[in-house]
Amino acid sequence: MKRVLALVVSMMLIVGMMAGCSTKEEPSAPAVADKEAETVAVKEEPKAENITLRIYAQYSDDDTIIPFDYAVAELAKAYPNVTLELDIQAQDDGQKLQTYAATGNLPDIFQVGLSQIETFKESGNIMILDDAAKSSGYLDKAHPSASNIIYNEDGHIYAFPYAGNELVMWYYNKAIFEEYGVKVPETYEELLTAIEVFNANDIIPMSIFAKEKWITTALYDVFATRFAPEGIVSLDKGKSSASDEAYTMAAQTLKDLLAVGFLPEGATNLNYDQAASLFYEGKAAMFLNGQWEMEASTEKLGENADWMWYPVMPGYEENAKALSGGGAPGGYAVSPHSENKELAAEVAAFISEKYCEAKYTKRSNPILALKIDESLQPEKPFPAMMAKLSEEMSTITSTTKFAWGLSNPQFKVAIEDQSQFLLTPDYTVAEFVEEIDKTIERMNK
Amino acid sequence: MKKYFGNRWAVALFTMPALILFTVMVFYPIVQVFYRSFYDWNGLSSGIFIGFDNFIRLFDDKVFKIANLNGFKFALVITMFQLTMATVLALAVSTIKFKGKNFFRIVYFIPVVLSVTVVCQLWLSIYNADTGLLNRFFEAVGLDFRQNWLVDRHNAIYAIAIVNAWQWMGYQFALILAGIKSIPTSYYEAARIDGAGVVKAHLKITIPLLAETFKFCLVISVTGGIKAFTEMFIMSGGGPGNSTYTLTYMMYSSAFRSGEFGYGLAAAAVLVLECLMAILVINWIFKTEKAVEGA
Repeated sequence: MKRVLALVVSMMLIVGMMAGCSTKEEPSAPAVADKEAETVAVKEEPKAENITLRIYAQYSDDDTIIPFDYAVAELAKAYPNVTLELDIQAQDDGQKLQTYAATGNLPDIFQVGLSQIETFKESGNIMILDDAAKSSGYLDKAHPSASNIIYNEDGHIYAFPYAGNELVMWYYNKAIFEEYGVKVPETYEELLTAIEVFNANDIIPMSIFAKEKWITTALYDVFATRFAPEGIVSLDKGKSSASDEAYTMAAQTLKDLLAVGFLPEGATNLNYDQAASLFYEGKAAMFLNGQWEMEASTEKLGENADWMWYPVMPGYEENAKALSGGGAPGGYAVSPHSENKELAAEVAAFISEKYCEAKYTKRSNPILALKIDESLQPEKPFPAMMAKLSEEMSTITSTTKFAWGLSNPQFKVAIEDQSQFLLTPDYTVAEFVEEIDKTIERMNK
Repeated sequence: MKKYFGNRWAVALFTMPALILFTVMVFYPIVQVFYRSFYDWNGLSSGIFIGFDNFIRLFDDKVFKIANLNGFKFALVITMFQLTMATVLALAVSTIKFKGKNFFRIVYFIPVVLSVTVVCQLWLSIYNADTGLLNRFFEAVGLDFRQNWLVDRHNAIYAIAIVNAWQWMGYQFALILAGIKSIPTSYYEAARIDGAGVVKAHLKITIPLLAETFKFCLVISVTGGIKAFTEMFIMSGGGPGNSTYTLTYMMYSSAFRSGEFGYGLAAAAVLVLECLMAILVINWIFKTEKAVEGA
């Protein structure tokens, strides 16, 4: 009986599969006919071919979603025959993109940072965009000050940047400083006084999301710029070593500040949401983040949010206007293996330009790689902090790099790990120096 | 049946699909790991053959030492916790007669079916220094033992290991319970007639007869500890610094963060050897025990 049942079921499955195959085939016949008809129509009236380009881009928060959507909408008007298929960039240190490259599956357009550009250059996985930058008019619109983020060190363009030279800003809550009668610190001594007063009143002096390693690198770099304005860039290039006086003093200063309670307990386990809420809720007096934080801080703290120059070290007053952060080549790159690489390069330039426009009009950010058409106006006024930064821009004497803008990935990993280590209580400056120097030594071999 | 096993062609025909699958999916990648570990390779270009340089650098690398030590600590914590708890609970559930036995069997297994991400997020909340359950518990019982569990570079690895130990204990519990169920009840009846109590019966019958199960559990927990990755990736990002790196994390960091695939694969090759070594040692221990028992 069982055998009969099995036979019947098997027969039904086979019949079902054959039926399925036949029904699938049926519509294909008219489809071919349609295609033929289409070909005839094309012959009669030539139309631009519809092309879909795959783009691998950041699309995770308002600062990336709003400009991207705007750029795509503008693209639809200017290039009605081009459709963008978005592949959302993963926050994975470039693993996904690297895998795409290794398997010959790179998207037509993809977002890259400097270290990826260097790797992709070696393996022929990134297109040189010099010609496209000229022919698309991208270079005509570029700010002269943005040449450092447009051109690679070898003089070529590998990606179209849309952001400007962004910086690491030291934010503070004016209301808290006023409430406790603390002067906004301009010197190291004043910073120590502020820490002392805040700790005595159960206020966290500085909030930081040190679970992320780039911000711990930025914090170290902030202090490095007090002694050597080129900060971590000089270490990245292998021109200095961590045992140089300036870099040792930076590490020691950070350790000294930690010892007097500069950061919240367990800072290395705080994520962005936790650290930011300490600042927004008035539990922390100061906060470290990139300049993109201005809008969020203004929204939460209103006029009480402001930024300050990093405190000056005695004897190093000439470095008062040196800032951490700054740009590095990066942005939208194009795959040389793309079937439509010329068009992809054109579209990448266009998307970058429109992205800049949206950052200006919708995100109130005037510091961009490209000049914005004067007819365009921001939808809401710039935050006061941004206006202040724009005014003070010309006084900045030097900038450094964010961790993702470092050129040597080995150094990037070392400085990220070691700077986070520095924030743990029993990690010594000597250990920090030894590990960084070992990495630099290996890089220089 | 004997006729088929004697037919070499039939044996080859039936084992071939599995062998091909194993070769393509397991053996070939492992060979590639060893082969590429001799290259200075960024994962994309063809790479440069550098002989044993990656291994020489590896054995001089402080991170490699940290990673190995962490693998050992991780394996030790999860093995001790899982085997002890799983054995005790499996014996209790199979011996003590009480209502709702099945409920406990399910409860102990629930963490296993949860996603690692969910479990890690849960424990991140438990470990939270200000609002976490653990510190609150110490406060509630009047102990001044407030800790930042994932911040201490020497102890964070133990805190993370506990998470893995907690989640996968149910798996070991299920294996041991299945092992206990497979022991014929006549053995216990005979022991009872000879005057053995429950504890003695378990010591003389259950535990020795579970030797093969324990061997399997031990292999799983020890190799699981050596190659741990997910929990530290989610909970600490390998930090603070690189204090919660394991060899797998080191491999990931070298390959994907530093772009040194050749170096990462050298770490992976050592990892494969360490896991093999662990399995051989466990097999040897159990073999020796059997020989001793046999003598």
